[in-house]
Parts: sequence; C-alpha cells; structure tokens
Amino acid sequence: MAGEKFTSDVVIGLEIHAEMATQSKLFCGCSTHGTDEPNTRTCEVCLGMPGSKPVLNRKAVDFALKLCLALNCRIAPQLVFSRKSYFYPDMAKNYQISQYEIPLGKKGSLKLKSGKEVGITRVHIEEDPAALVHPSGMERSTYVLVDYNRSGDPLCEIVTDPELESPSEARDFMKQLITVLNYLSIFDINRCIIKADCNVSIKESGYVRAEIKNVTGFKEIERALKYEVERQKKEVHEGNSLKQETRAWDPDLGITRPMRTKEVEEEYGYILDPDLTVIDITDEMVSAVEQDMPELAESKIEKYVKEYNLKKEDAEILSQEKLLADLFEKVAEEIDPVLAAKWLRRELVRVLNYSKKKLAEIELDERHLIDLLKLVEEKKITETTGQNLIEKLLQEPFDVKEYVENQGLAAVSDKGELEKFCKEAVEENPKAVEDLKQGNENSLNFLVGQVMRKTKGKAVPKEVNEILRKLVG
Amino acid sequence: MTSEFINKVRNQEIDIAEHTEKALEKVKRIDSEYHYMNTISEDLAREGAKHVKAIGEGVLAGTAVSIKDCICVKGVESTAGSKILEGYRPVFDATVVQRIKKEGGIIIGKTAQDEFGFGSFSVNVGIGKETPLNPLDKERVCGGSSGGSAGLVRKADFPHISLAESTGGSIVAPASFCGVVGLCPTYGRVSRHGLIDYANSLDKIGPIAKTTMQAALMLEIIAGHDPDESTSLKRPVDPYTDHVGRDIKGMKLGVIRRAFGEGTDDEVTRKVKDAISRLEDAGAEAHEVSLPMASEYAVPCYYLIAMCETSTNLAKLCGMRYGRHESLEGGFNEYFSKVRELNFGKEAKRRIILGTFARMAGCRDAYYIKALKVRSRIIQEYKKTLKQMDVLVSPTMPFTAPRFRDVEKLTPLQNYMSDILTAGPNVAGLPHISIPCGKAGGMPAGLMAIGDHLQESKLIQLGSALE
Repeated sequence: MAGEKFTSDVVIGLEIHAEMATQSKLFCGCSTHGTDEPNTRTCEVCLGMPGSKPVLNRKAVDFALKLCLALNCRIAPQLVFSRKSYFYPDMAKNYQISQYEIPLGKKGSLKLKSGKEVGITRVHIEEDPAALVHPSGMERSTYVLVDYNRSGDPLCEIVTDPELESPSEARDFMKQLITVLNYLSIFDINRCIIKADCNVSIKESGYVRAEIKNVTGFKEIERALKYEVERQKKEVHEGNSLKQETRAWDPDLGITRPMRTKEVEEEYGYILDPDLTVIDITDEMVSAVEQDMPELAESKIEKYVKEYNLKKEDAEILSQEKLLADLFEKVAEEIDPVLAAKWLRRELVRVLNYSKKKLAEIELDERHLIDLLKLVEEKKITETTGQNLIEKLLQEPFDVKEYVENQGLAAVSDKGELEKFCKEAVEENPKAVEDLKQGNENSLNFLVGQVMRKTKGKAVPKEVNEILRKLVG
Repeated sequence: MTSEFINKVRNQEIDIAEHTEKALEKVKRIDSEYHYMNTISEDLAREGAKHVKAIGEGVLAGTAVSIKDCICVKGVESTAGSKILEGYRPVFDATVVQRIKKEGGIIIGKTAQDEFGFGSFSVNVGIGKETPLNPLDKERVCGGSSGGSAGLVRKADFPHISLAESTGGSIVAPASFCGVVGLCPTYGRVSRHGLIDYANSLDKIGPIAKTTMQAALMLEIIAGHDPDESTSLKRPVDPYTDHVGRDIKGMKLGVIRRAFGEGTDDEVTRKVKDAISRLEDAGAEAHEVSLPMASEYAVPCYYLIAMCETSTNLAKLCGMRYGRHESLEGGFNEYFSKVRELNFGKEAKRRIILGTFARMAGCRDAYYIKALKVRSRIIQEYKKTLKQMDVLVSPTMPFTAPRFRDVEKLTPLQNYMSDILTAGPNVAGLPHISIPCGKAGGMPAGLMAIGDHLQESKLIQLGSALE
C-alpha cells in the first residue's frame, strides 16, 4: 500500500498552478491581459497553427527562478521543456509545453504560520491551456466554446510533499505561498489565477488517495478538503472501501463528486520539446535574480518584532502584503513604529476592508499619511480627527497639514479654553454632575461627550476627563 | 544560366509579367501529366511578377520558385500533402518564404510530397492527392518525400529553383532519382519557422535545383539566424556562391565503405566510383572510412525519434481550428477520432501509432530515450571521422528510381531501409548534397557528399567540381 509511510490522521499534498504576471505569454508576443473579448489576444503560436514555432519568454524564467529561490529550492543546471500529450478541446496543440524530467526547482520548503516547514517537491514552468466556456453551465450545455486568450499564459506549478495534516494547514500553506508570490511581484492578485489540485487521504482507509481537481482560492481549498475528509471518514465508517480516484469540487453545492477512477498513472507520453533549445542556467543568471530578490515576509516579521518592538501579531498582519509592509517601513522612519503599526494595522486596514478596496487600488501619497500620523503623534489632532482624516485620505489625496489648519481641526490644547468648555458643560448639566458625585461613571462619559461636541471633537478625551474630575471634585 | 536571366529581368530586357504567364502555363501542363503540384498559386505569382517588374531588384529577380507543400505561404493552401489540412491557408509566411519574396523570387505554387514527409518515394501522398511520376520514366517514382520539387526542377525549362525539406533524406533522395542537385543544410542553418513539422529535431529546409550554383544561390538567401525560431543558429552565413568552381585540390574524401557493398546496385556503385575517380583526377584524395554506428543504427534511431516527435506534432490536427472538419456528433473524443480516421493516410496512422507507443511509460526508456543516446553516439562518430576528412562520399540512394509496381511489393520495413544511406547525416544534423553522376540502367544515379556542421561551402565546391 502506498500509504505505509504516513502516520497522521489526514495526509494532504497540493499541486498548485499560479499564473505569472508577465506582460506577454510564455511562447509568443501576445498580451496576457487587456481586452476580454474572446479570442482576440491570440496568434498562430498560441492557437497552435501548423508551421508556428514557440519562442521562450525569458522574463517568465526569471520570475520562476525568483520563486524557486524564495522557496529554497535546488535550481536545475539546465532549463528543459517537454511535451505533455493528451487530447482535450482546451489544448491548442493537444500537447502542453511543460517540464518533466528536470523541473526548474526541487527539494524546497515553505514555513507555515505555526513554524512548521512544508517540503516542496518541485517547481516548474508550463503553459496554460485555453478556457472552456459552457454557455448554460457545465451540466446542461450541449456544446462548449473555446476562448484562447488564456492559451499560452505562463504558469508556475508548485507541488508540495504530502506533509499537510489538515485542511486548515492546507489553507495556511496557500496563504503563505500567496504572500511569497506577492512579495516577489510575480503574481498579480487582481488578474492572475491560482488554483490547486488537492490530494487527500485518511488513516482509517489506509491512505487511499483522492485527487480533487482545480479548486480556486485558498478558502475554497479548505472547504473542499474539509468536505472530502468528512466524506472519506463517513465512507469508511459505513464499511465502504475507498478507491483511488479523481474528483471535482462543486463550490455551489459544497461537495466533491467523482470524475474518473484512477487505476494507473495517467499516460502523457512525454518527449523533450524539440522546438525549444536546452538553456544552461548559469550562476550569473541565478545571481542576477538573487540580487533582484526583495526581503521576504518571514524576515520582515522577525525584523519588526526585534527592531521595532512590535507584537508578533501586528508584525504578521503588516508583512502579509508587500505594499503594506513597504508603506509601514517608510512611515516608521519618521513616526514611532509602534504607533505607526497600530494606525496602519487598525485604522488603514479597517478603512480598506470597509470600502472593499486593496491598497494597490488607491491613490495614497505616503507623505500625507506621515503628516497625519505626525499630527497624531504630537497630539496636535485627536485620535477621532485622525480616524476621520484617514477615511478621507483613502478616498482622495490631499495635503493633510493644510487641511487641518484651514478647517480648524487642530486639537484644543489650550488648557484655559478647554477649562472654559468644561465649566460650561458642568453648569448646563447639573443632574449629570450630581449623578457623578454619587459615583455614576456613566455621567462622566456623558459630560466628556458634551465637551467633545462643543470642541467639534478637537479635544483630547483624556485631558477633558481630568479637568472634569477636578471641577466636579 | 540563371544569373544571365536575372540580369535581363533587372534590366527590363525580359518582361517578367509575360514570362511568368508562360511559366505558369508550362507548370500547369507539366502538372497535368506528372502531378508535381498540390497548388499552383497563379495570383501570388502574378502579384510577385508585377512587383519585380516595378522595382527590378533582388538576387532572385523573376526566378520562379516552387515551395514544398509543408512550408507555409501566406494565404495559399498549405497542407503538407495531407487531406486533414485541406483548406488551411496560413496567416503568415514562413521565414524562408519572406526572404525569397524579398529577393524577387516568384512563388508559383506548392509541390507534391509524401503526406507530412512520410516516405522515400512520394507514393504515400495524402488521401485524394495524385502521385508524382518520375520525369524520365512515368512508370517509376520521383523519390520522396520532396518528389514534386525534384520532378519539377527536372522538367521546367525556365529559370526555376525549388524549396524542399528533409527529415531523413527527403531532399537528396528525390534529387538523386530525378537527376538534379539537392542540398540539405546543417540542422538550424535555415529557419524552420513556418515549416509544418514532421520531426522538429530533424527537419531542415533546403533547395533542389538544376545546378550546384543555383542551389548555393538559394541557400545563401534562406540561411541565417531567425529570432522567431529557437533552434536557428546565430553563426554568420558563408558566401556559398563564391565556392562554386573553386579548386578541390587536396580535398580529402572519406569513401564510406559499407555504402558500396551489399544492398547497393552494382551499376550505381560503378557510377559513383567513376565520379570519385573524376574528383581524384581534379586533385582530391580519396580514403576509405567506415562508420559502424551510423551504418548499423542510423535507420532505427531516425525512425524512433522521428515517429515519437511526429506523433505529438500531428495531435493538433483534429478538425477544430483549421483544415478538414467533419459533422459534429458525439463527444470530443469521438469527433477527433472521426476527423483523424477519415483524413489521415495509412502511413500517417502507422507512424502516429508507432510513435505514441515508443514514448509511452514503460517503452519510453527502451525506445525513445535509447534512440536519443544512440543519436549522440552517431554524431560523435561522424565528428571524429570528419576531423580527418573534408567530406564523406557515398551513393545517395543504393539504387535508381524504382518502378511503382516494385515499390508496392515492399514491406514497411523494406521501405524504411531504403533510407540506409541518408538517415545518418540527417540524424546527425550534417549538411549533405546529392549531385547527379550519370545514369545507371537508363536512370540517374546520385553521389552524396556529407560535410561537417556548417561546412556547406565544401559541399558546394565539390558539387560544382563534379559538374
């Protein structure tokens, strides 16, 4: 039995396909993005027309090399492409140009949030097939349309060792991987697709493996795996024996269903692609890519905790997206990092989530943000004002300092003036004052609220609090 | 002489439009009798003639050029001789075609061939196509797979060069059978961009012409690096035509011993030996050499690699995007099977099945991978021998053009064995030339010379010396 080496309750391995964000396709000059009008971003190469010849996009190789380095893979000495043959309507040539014997990278690893290292079996480059369009859904359509816009897009395939032990680990693996892809700027989360074939088996069955094909998105991967683990347990519990098979995930119904029984390994009849020459991966090539490697999230987290004294949780959130981490580091050069972390993590992320926007999509001048946080840091504006300004800043850029001045938003810091407002509030609300004297703390909050209203939110609540207590005695 | 003609075209002494009309008439007449053309591109030829007349320039100015059917010509049906590609009009010109057009060559049409190049006699034409007949004897084959090219070169009495293609001997074999010159360049010397693949690691485009000079002229135009084709070589191109007529004094000829023994027609042996003597008289030195690896293993090695590659190349032909379509019934598997069953010829099916088998898990190491290893050994053997010799010589084909009725009797294996002399240089990617060297039993015999990689000039030198 294949599963003898395993001991955990659940064994999961992933085969992930991530689209790389190059401008042009893997073997022709067609654009990878732009118009979605079907079959417009195509040429004789990505349509597989007789006589056409592939020419390798070197940028895609650099991208994949970056990923191999980030995943601590051993890099192959040569780049070799093979033809993977099978007949399917989404295949322009009925073979896919892929890598077989010698993948670009192998024996790598990726660390999960828990600190567990997951082995990477291999990383290789291949071309995307076309998209099949079922005009009335997959079940009911009597015909299928083919859109070749995607045909020939560059993909990276990442295969993990079967070391993931739960659906949530699989989800976290995907999350960590997407973070790495994002840091390397080789994946565009807005237009690139990432999907996985999930291999899963359980101890009770003696690890009879099912492969769930083509699950898109890390949340879906967790859902599909959860369902499949439960299904397998139920089958075994009911005394049914499992068989090795390929299953499809239906995200609408939240179930997997059988596609075909896998009695033998699929037969792809690999040969070397004789249209592409073997390319030596020289030390110069690798070191050029190495020099271009950004600092990755893992080391940023460490840095933030050690050098900036951030909490690990804050460090993790800030480093999840490269853009956010870069912004944070710039801000932290001028503002207390702990304060900066708090404001970026809580306020900025809150507003982004609320408006369902990504940092990349908004026009944000980091200078404005630094100005704003400086005003907060120096207590020149109140936190409430700061929060309001961040909301505004994420809608459109504006000069924060000037705006605060023009709108008179500066915090009331003149003790005398503040005392005047407090006295007014005490005089106008004798009942609340009485209640406070009786020890009702809610009344203090009420009075503070009155003062804040008078100052249009420009007072620092803590200071108001102190003055009121003194006044009421 | 072509150069005289080209000068007259440039000087407007010849009305190229009128000349081309006449040439087209002649091609049609020849074709109706001998079946050399799959398509005659009259409109394109007229357009080309008009252009040449207007600018009066180009190294080929006004020369008629026929193109083997497997090489893409924009807007002209290009089927590689197969019914399954009926109606395929490429949206682009092959790089070689672009270069020929630029030099004022007038493209007159697509020449007949074995379907996808699958044959040595041009009898394996696609379903519905007619078999080309030998220009010297209609009872006999033209040779293949570039049969239409060689036949037309022999028959045309106007300035004309043909562009052929060789995977395992398809340029020199028909040249030998039709008594003309065939020049197959080093693998990678001429861009394959626009060539409908037979076996990509073996395919080479090269000229068939009446004289070595004309072949050299054409090679000079089509050779050279092409950024659109990854296996195309970057090395600068030799001025091949300068080597025509150059003294061969001291040139070392390695005479391949096994090629003259058992299996080779006695009279062919005699004619080729006579030719070698003439070369010796002109100052060349002949030495016997033996190439045991190539003699023994080139044919199986060639067929394994070629079939593995071709079975993947032909997969794309399934009636979905171009070429023949059939009525849509059943799932895609049934549809693809139907299109392929109805439109591939028998030899194409045989090679797809054999090639698919040889690359399946379990067979792959024993056949495909082993063939790749043997190929390296064969290359090493040639390179070693060519360190001592300038060129290697042998008959091109072990016999003269056979009669159709005799070819019919051959088993597939006997068919494949007819490539025994040409498979070696093709597997090794070495340039080779076939030069007519008299008649054996009334039919032309050819001498083949093989050079080291990128040593086409030596072959041209030797070819012109023999003429």
